[in-house]
Amino acid sequence: MESASIAVGSAHAHEHHGPPEAHSSSKIDRQTLGILLFIVSEAMLFGAFFASYFFLREVSNPTDVWPPDGFELPKAIAGVNTAILISSSFTIHWALEGARKGNREAMKMGLAMTWLLGATFLFIQINEYVHLGFSARDGAFGSIFYGLTGLHGAHVFVGLLLLSFANIRAWRGHFGTKAEDHLGVEVPGIYWHFVDVMWIIVYVTVYIL
Amino acid sequence: MVAALKNPGMPRAGLGFLIGGLFGFGLVVALRAVSGLEIFQTEATGYPHVIVPGITAPIGFLIGLGCFDYWFRWASGAPTIPDDHSQHGAYSWKDYFKFNTDHKVIGIQYVVTTFCFFMIGGLLAMLMRAELAQPGTQIVDPGVFNSLFSTHAAIMIFLFIVPVFAGLANYVLPLMIGAPDMAFPRLNALSFWMLPMAGVLFMASFLAPGGAFDAGWTGYAPLSTGAPLGQSFFNLGVQFAGASSVATALNFLVTIVTMRAPGMNFWRMPLLVWANLSTSLLVVGATPFIAGAQFMVLMDRAIGTNFFQAAAGGDVISYQHIFWFYSHPAVYIMMLPGFGIVSEVISTHARKTIFGYRLMAIALLGIVILAFAVWAHHMFVSGMFAWLRVPMMITTLLIAVPTGIKIFSWLGTLFDSKLHIESTSMLFALGFLVTFVIGGISGVMLGMIPLDIHVSDTYFVVAHIHFVLFGGSVFTIFCGFYHWFPKMTGRMYDERLGRIHFWMTLVGMLGTFIPMHWIGMEGMPRRVADYAAQFGNWNLVITIFSFILGVAQLIFVYNMVVSWRFGPKAGDNPWRAKTIEWLVSSPPPVFNFDEIPRVVGGPYEFGVPGARHAIMHDGDGATVSGPEPAVAGAASGGGGGEGGGS
Repeated sequence: MESASIAVGSAHAHEHHGPPEAHSSSKIDRQTLGILLFIVSEAMLFGAFFASYFFLREVSNPTDVWPPDGFELPKAIAGVNTAILISSSFTIHWALEGARKGNREAMKMGLAMTWLLGATFLFIQINEYVHLGFSARDGAFGSIFYGLTGLHGAHVFVGLLLLSFANIRAWRGHFGTKAEDHLGVEVPGIYWHFVDVMWIIVYVTVYIL
Repeated sequence: MVAALKNPGMPRAGLGFLIGGLFGFGLVVALRAVSGLEIFQTEATGYPHVIVPGITAPIGFLIGLGCFDYWFRWASGAPTIPDDHSQHGAYSWKDYFKFNTDHKVIGIQYVVTTFCFFMIGGLLAMLMRAELAQPGTQIVDPGVFNSLFSTHAAIMIFLFIVPVFAGLANYVLPLMIGAPDMAFPRLNALSFWMLPMAGVLFMASFLAPGGAFDAGWTGYAPLSTGAPLGQSFFNLGVQFAGASSVATALNFLVTIVTMRAPGMNFWRMPLLVWANLSTSLLVVGATPFIAGAQFMVLMDRAIGTNFFQAAAGGDVISYQHIFWFYSHPAVYIMMLPGFGIVSEVISTHARKTIFGYRLMAIALLGIVILAFAVWAHHMFVSGMFAWLRVPMMITTLLIAVPTGIKIFSWLGTLFDSKLHIESTSMLFALGFLVTFVIGGISGVMLGMIPLDIHVSDTYFVVAHIHFVLFGGSVFTIFCGFYHWFPKMTGRMYDERLGRIHFWMTLVGMLGTFIPMHWIGMEGMPRRVADYAAQFGNWNLVITIFSFILGVAQLIFVYNMVVSWRFGPKAGDNPWRAKTIEWLVSSPPPVFNFDEIPRVVGGPYEFGVPGARHAIMHDGDGATVSGPEPAVAGAASGGGGGEGGGS
């Protein structure tokens, strides 16, 4: 059970202390491919809700004005919120560049700022929910509005959780400059970009179109 | 006692289950108190104080079992402990009840667990058949009957057929591609342990007021949105089973792409690996849709949203579109891994290379693409857009092309070969060809709109689905069980009992499901406990054959259990197969390989002089072609055939 002896053991597979090193048959590393595939399945989950959205809009209520009368969406505030979330894509990129070049301060600042921007977005979104004046029970529009934005909010929350882990580990001195040593920044970063892009689609579909 | 509750394991998992449940319950009570609502909701379908613990208790179980220990440590920024492999491999039966990262242990956990669900689902089916033996209601009342067919289908689909293939592939796929384990071993273990949680939720619905969920496995809205509490357990169970399925698929894809042995390019992969690659693409792309559909139903039920409430502007048909956008690809999720198994078995026992290997792989990918374009053929009578009917009919009929390619490739492989049917697995593979072709042809019939309208919601549909899911998937599952049983256990099963099992299963299956075509054509509706007296005789016949089918599975269980314990030693390669899993010991070593093998040729080059698939140890190449054949008969197979792979 001593960690030191295990480290030696894995280097000499014939001692049967650990498995042989797997042959790497692709240039892409496992975690990155894993998160990309996960994002595909997440996109399909959004697809289910978008399918519902367009059904409710185009099939069930084709002639009505959309959003139906009495539903007013704060396009401007949500637009500012969109800008906040988009800017966090740049800060996470800054953090990743910092990690690549060994600039730990840039990495830490970038991660912290991304987290704060994401939390601000979530806070404004919740504030919007409180002041919207309709709930998920109010008609099909209320349901799908809260369904889509709520699903996205849940993804922001998960993204923030992943970023929290990255922040904690960055402040505690983890992550190196080698590609495999800062996957803990890169993988949540990829997910965060996905969350941002998905918000742009949700915003354009629900608020603008 | 305290130590048992502190360390990961079953006692802590039980505690976690309790704490998780209480936490969820407390959360609902607290939130409702804070927001000034009545503490206990009294509406018929809501029950948040049951639904929320239904989510948190299983999560508590998983945390208690130790699924998240490593990740918690990682997330808190603590230095990671070098893996001491203490959670890898099984050294006693107790290790199968733990969080274990060894793909071989997980594979067996999957197979055994899902087979238990198969037995439960089978018992539910036999209860139904007992009720249907005579017209009128004798054993169960119509409400219970609704619960029976719903839980039967949900358990068989979500807890048996889909995951059992994941289990079989879990065991053999990393070995086949020369990987020491799956890409994400901890995620792999988590995927498995979500499955019993889904089972617990499905079973718990029997205890719910109003009975188990009874809206069918399809759970169509608005039937499901207005159903009693049991339906919520279905909604939640599907989430756990679906998450398990997606995580496993992702794991397979990453493993296949990044961890193949040197020399194992895509055109040297065994067809089982190709099949699981295709299946995993389908799972990653489609399964989130059922998660979405069930989320919406759950929200309609629990918090009063209006996704499917027509009166409030909701759209009922949209449920069917979203549901079938998963559930049609799902039938290929339930079939493609079986294609892979059958390809392995037929090639090995015909002693011939697969006829048209590359076309077999391309046909799999063709099915993956077409699978996403046929969903609405389940909805010809639903009142959906009329313009969508004919395109869906055409794509549905098109899908017979890649499937037909596969059938003819298997026939081409068998053609002019010297069959070795010394193994029950080969019997099941040949039986599969017969029954699956029948199921496939009735599928083409159902794809045609006029016939579909005529037989909609009749026993013809029941007959079709069972010919493809029982005659197709379950036959290939048995085929795989028998084929890899010696590899998994190191022992040989009793061939005579295997043969009895096969013939009873085949006869029982044909006797049960063939007459259903006829009574379906005459209009006997499915999903109803009672029926017109004119169908009485056929139903009695069906019930008798279905009981033969049920008894046959007991023989299988006896054979597997006794052979696992007392069977004769199997040897490393009893079928003289070429793929890598047969080139290691039976059962394989804990870490699969001492060194990663080197792949030097195609996987099915039987009868080609000097052909090798893989070299296990560099340096001693002469001794690697496998041990002496344990089964009599020289490798004489046809040397020719269509060498598509090379």
